[in-house]
Amino acid sequence: MKCAALATVPLVLAGCTGPLSTLTPSGPIAQDIAWLWWALLAGAALLALMVFVLVALGFGRPREVAEGRWVFGMGVWFSLAVLTVTLAGALWVGERILPHGPALEVHAHARQWSWTFTHPGATGPTESEGVLHIPAGQPVDVLITSSDVIHSFWVPQLGGKMDAIPGRQNRLRIEASRPGTYEGLCAEFCGLEHASMRFEVIAHDPAAWPPLPTMEGSRP
Amino acid sequence: MRRVGGMVWLAWLIAGPTAWAAAFSVAYGLHGLGCELGWPALSLGPVSLQRVAIALPSLAAILLCLVLLARVSTALGPEAGIPRLGLWIGLVATLYTMAPVLVATSC
Amino acid sequence: MSPPDMTAIPANPPRRALPLHRELDRVWRNGPGLWGQVTSVSHTTLGLRFMATAFVFFGIGGLLSMLIRAQLATPNSAFLDTALYNQIFTMHGSIMMFLFAIPMLEGLAMYLLPKMLGTRDLAFPRLSALGYWCYLLGGSILITALLAGVAPADGWFMYTPLSGKTYSPGINADVWLLGVTFVEISALAAAIELMVSILRLRAPGMTLTQMPLFAWYILGTAAMMLAGFPPLILGSVLLEMERAFGWPFFDPERGGDPLLWQHLFWLFGHPEVYIIFLPAAGVLSTVIPVLCRTKIVGYGAIVAAILGMVFLSFGLWVHHMFTVGIPHLALAFFSAASMLVAVPTAVQIFAWIGTMWRGRPELKLPMLYILGFFFTFVMGGLTGVMLAVVPFNWQAHDTAFVTAHLHYVLIGGFVFPMLAGVAWWMPLMSGRRRIKGLGEAAFWLILIGFHGTFFLMHLTGLMGMPRRIPTYADNPEWMGLNLSSSFFGFVMTIGFALFAIDLILQAGFGKRSVRDPWQAPSLDWAMALPPPNYNFASLPGVELQQAGAAGAMLKLARGEGFLPGAPRGRREILVTSVGAARPQHVALLPFNTALPLVLALAICAFVLLMLAGFYAVAPVALIPVVGLIWAWARRAVAAVDAAPVEIAPGQFLPVHPEGGATLTQSGLTGLLFANGTFLASLLFGLAFISLVSPGPPRPVWHADGTVLLAAAAVVALLAAGALGARWALARVEAARPAGAVLIGAVIVNLLALAGLAALAFWLPAPTRHAGDAVRAALVAYVGLHIAIATLFSAFALDQARRGELTPASPGALRNWGLWQRYTLAAAALAMAALWAQEAGA
Repeated sequence: MKCAALATVPLVLAGCTGPLSTLTPSGPIAQDIAWLWWALLAGAALLALMVFVLVALGFGRPREVAEGRWVFGMGVWFSLAVLTVTLAGALWVGERILPHGPALEVHAHARQWSWTFTHPGATGPTESEGVLHIPAGQPVDVLITSSDVIHSFWVPQLGGKMDAIPGRQNRLRIEASRPGTYEGLCAEFCGLEHASMRFEVIAHDPAAWPPLPTMEGSRP
Repeated sequence: MRRVGGMVWLAWLIAGPTAWAAAFSVAYGLHGLGCELGWPALSLGPVSLQRVAIALPSLAAILLCLVLLARVSTALGPEAGIPRLGLWIGLVATLYTMAPVLVATSC
Repeated sequence: MSPPDMTAIPANPPRRALPLHRELDRVWRNGPGLWGQVTSVSHTTLGLRFMATAFVFFGIGGLLSMLIRAQLATPNSAFLDTALYNQIFTMHGSIMMFLFAIPMLEGLAMYLLPKMLGTRDLAFPRLSALGYWCYLLGGSILITALLAGVAPADGWFMYTPLSGKTYSPGINADVWLLGVTFVEISALAAAIELMVSILRLRAPGMTLTQMPLFAWYILGTAAMMLAGFPPLILGSVLLEMERAFGWPFFDPERGGDPLLWQHLFWLFGHPEVYIIFLPAAGVLSTVIPVLCRTKIVGYGAIVAAILGMVFLSFGLWVHHMFTVGIPHLALAFFSAASMLVAVPTAVQIFAWIGTMWRGRPELKLPMLYILGFFFTFVMGGLTGVMLAVVPFNWQAHDTAFVTAHLHYVLIGGFVFPMLAGVAWWMPLMSGRRRIKGLGEAAFWLILIGFHGTFFLMHLTGLMGMPRRIPTYADNPEWMGLNLSSSFFGFVMTIGFALFAIDLILQAGFGKRSVRDPWQAPSLDWAMALPPPNYNFASLPGVELQQAGAAGAMLKLARGEGFLPGAPRGRREILVTSVGAARPQHVALLPFNTALPLVLALAICAFVLLMLAGFYAVAPVALIPVVGLIWAWARRAVAAVDAAPVEIAPGQFLPVHPEGGATLTQSGLTGLLFANGTFLASLLFGLAFISLVSPGPPRPVWHADGTVLLAAAAVVALLAAGALGARWALARVEAARPAGAVLIGAVIVNLLALAGLAALAFWLPAPTRHAGDAVRAALVAYVGLHIAIATLFSAFALDQARRGELTPASPGALRNWGLWQRYTLAAAALAMAALWAQEAGA
C-alpha cells in the first residue's frame, strides 16, 4: 500500500516489497525513517544532478571564474546550508524515535545462533524461542542482551536495529501499527550460522493482549 | 615563512583544528563521565550540569580561535592567509559539532 | 656562514649532459641482476615495486570478490561452504584495505614526491626498502594462510568477542592480527619518511605555500597515518595478548569490553578512508589543471580543505558504531562531525569543477577516469551523508546499502583517480606511449560494470539484505538484484583485466614516449624517460622550478642547478629549512644494501614464531632484530671528508647541520609523535576499562609503599638519564671526553629497568581482570621504552669509545636524548595513570 503511494518515484514497484523491506514500513517508527529516506533520496538526486550538469558545462569554452564563488560560495556556504538542514532533520527524527516515555518492555536475548524472547504474559513473564510477541498499536521497548558474541536485533518493518553486546543491555523502541507477523534477523556478523539467525515478531490485537500461553503458536 | 620559521607557521596553521580536536575529545570524555556520575540530574539554573560541562571546553576553544584570529595578521603578515582559514575551520567546526548539545537527549 | 639567498645565487656553468649523467649513474644506479633489485634502496625502484605488488594483491582481492558474487548470484548456492565464504569476504576486505589501497598510495607517493620536490631520493632510503619487505612478507603470510585454508574469518573489522580465543580458536585470527601489524610497519615507515622528505628535502626556495598540491595532500596523509595507525596497532597487540596469554582486555566476563576494540578499530578505520582518499584527490588536483590547460582554482582553499579533512576525519569514528547503544547526544556529536567533513570534500569538488570551467578540458584517457570519479564519488559522498543521519543509519547499517556506499566511495574516490594517475604517469614510469583504444575500452567496461554491480545494491540493502550472508533461501525478492550485481561484477573484472593487459602491453611494446608528453608545469616531468635513479643531474632553484618541465629539463641535465653531478662519489642531496626551504646542509644518503631485507626477515621470524604459538622462544628472535638495527645505525654514512661542499659557484654548505636538526632527528620526532598517539590510545583504554565498562568490578589492589617507591625511583632514574644525555652532549660539544657520563647513564637506565621489573613483580596477575591487564600493558610499554633507551645510551657509549663523537657531529647523543626525554615523560604519565586508576577505585 505504501508502495502504491510512492509509485511516482521511478522505481520498479516490486522493488519495494518483501517481508524485510525498510520501504514497506508497518509502524510509526519505521514509517518516520522511511519518509526520511525518501527526503534524503530526493535531495541527493537533485544535488548529484546539479554536480553532473556543472561538470558537463565545464566542457564548454574557457571562461573567467570567480575563485571565491566556487570554493567558498559553493564549497563552503552552499554545502554547509544543505548539511545543516539535513542535520536538523536527523536530530528531529532521531529524538522522535528514541525511547521517551513509558512503554511495554520485552527482552531479546541473543546467542550463537538463536534468539530467546521474554514478554509479559497472563501468568507472568513468558519465554519463547525465535518468536517475539508484542501488542500492536503501542510502543514496545526491546531490552537486548547477548551471552556470547555481538549480534544485532533488527525488524526492518517496525524500526531500526540495535546491537546485542555481551555485558551490556541496549534498549530499542519498536512499534507495529496493525496485528500481524513481521520478520526479523541478526544484522551483525556473528560467525558460522549468522545467516540463519532469523526470528519472527507477532503483533497481537490489543484486545487479545496478553496472549494466553496456548495461543502463542497460532497466527492472529 | 620568511617572517617566522616554518615550524611556527605550521603551528599557526594547525592551531584552530587542534583547538577543535581538543574540545571535541574533552567534551566526549566529559559526556561519558557525566552519564556515569548522573550529572544530567543536577541542574544549574535552567540547564543541567551535564550540558554546561560539555559546552565549556567548546567555549574555551571558540575563545582561543577568536583571540588567535585577531592576532594572526600581525604575527604572520603576508603569510597569514591559510593559517587564518585554519582558525576559521576550528571556529566553525567547534560551533557546528557542539550545536546538538543544546537539543539532543543526553544519556 | 649564513644560508644563501636563493634568488641571488649564480647558476652553475652548463656542462655536457652525457658525462654528467654517467658520473651520477655510476653512484646512484641499482646493482646488476636480481641481487641489484634485492639491494636497491632507490625510491624510483621501490615506488614502482610497491605499486606493482599492490596491483597483484588487487588482483587477488578481486578474484575473491568474484567468488563472493558467484556465491550470491542465486539464493541457495552450494558453491562455497559457509566457513570458506567467511574467510573469503574477510580476506577480500583486508587485502583491499591493507595490501592494496595503503601500499598503492605509499608507492605512488614514494615514486613521485622526490621528483615533484626537486630532489634525488627520500630522506631514509633504507627505510623505504625495509617497509617494502615487511609489506611483501606480511602480505605473503596472509595469502599463504588463505591458500592453506586458515585465513581469518571474523570480518575485516575483527570484532571481539567473536575474534577472541573462545569463538575463534584456530590461528586464523592470529594470522590477521600479526600479519596486518607486520604490514603496518611499512605504513609507519612510509609516513615518517614522506613527511620528513616533504618538510626537509624540497628544492631550495620552494616554500611550503608554493609546493605542488600533491605534496600537501601527502603531507596530510602522512600526518593522518602517524595518528591513525597507532590505535589499530595497539588494538591488534592487545587482542593478540588476550588470545595468546589470556589478558582479558575485551572479555566482558572479566571486566573487559568488546566496545573498546570497536573504538580502537574505528579510531583507525574511519580516518583510514580519508588516508586513502587524500592521495587520490592529490592526483586529481595535479592532473585536472594540466589537462584543462589552466591553473588550479583556489590553491589556498584546497590546502585549508586538506587541513580540515585531516582533523575532522578523526571526529567521526563513532559513526560506525551508531547501533551499539550510545546516548543520542554522543551520536549527535559524531553525526554533526560526519556532516561537517563533507564541507572540505565539497570545497575540493567545486574547485576542480571551477578549474574545468576556467580551462579547456581535453578528453584524454586520464580525463575519462576523472569523469568516472565525479560520477561515482559524488553519489558515494551523498550516500555517506545519508548514513551520517542516525535514524536512517539504524535501518541501513550492516545491510547491502553500506556495501554499495563504501564501494562507491572507495572505487569512486580512490580507484578511479588512481587509474587516472596510472594513465597519466605511465609514460614517465615506462618511458613508453600507450596503445590507443584498449585503455578506453577498459574504462567503459569498468564504469558500466561498477555501476551495474553497485547501484541497485543500495536497493537490495533497503529491502533488508544484511551483509556477510552466504545464502538467502527465504527471500526470493533479492534474487534478481543479486543476479544482476553478479553479472555486472564480472563485467567490471573483465574491465580491470583489460586495464592490466593494457599496462603490460604499454610497458613491453609501446612506442618510446617523448619527454614531457603532457606539457606539464611540474618538475616530475623535467627528466629523462624513464627517470634515472638520481632524478636530476642538478637540483632546481626557484627560477627553474617555475620554468615548467620543458623549460627546466635541459638546464637541469646540464648541471646548471645546484649540487651538480656526483664528483665525490657520494649520494648527495640538499636539506632545506621547513618553511622557506633555505639550504641548510648537504646530506649523504646510504648506498645499496641488503640490510633492509635481512632485518625484515628477522622480524618475520619473530612473527612466525608468535603465530606458531612458540611464545617462550619468540623473544629470542628479537635478539637478531636488535643486532641488525644496531648494525643499521652503525652503517649510516659518515662523511670521511667532512669539508663543506660547493653547491653553486662560491656557495658552500656543510655536510653536518649547524644548529638545525638532522634528518634522523626529524624522523625520530615523527616516530615519537606516532608513539605518543599509541600511548594516548593506551591511556584511553585504561580510562575506558576503568570508568565505562560494565561487568564485574576490578578486585581492589592494595598498592603499598614499596610499589610507590619503585614507581618514583623509576621516574627519578629516567630523569637522571635525561640529564646525563644533556651533560654528555655539552661535554662533547666542548670537545671533552664523555665516556664516564655515558657509563653512568647506561647504569642509571639499567637500574630503572630493574626498578620497573620490581614494580611489575608486585602487580596482580594480568589475567585476573581487564583493569589489571591494561595496567600491566602500560607497565610493559614503559619497560620496552626503558630497554630501548638503555640500548640507545649503550650505542652512544660505543661511539664514544671509538672516538666518533665530535663537536660537529655528536653521533647518537641528540637522538638518544630525545628518546630518553620521551621515555621519562611516558613513564611519569603512566605512573600517574596507575595511581589515578587506584585512587578512582
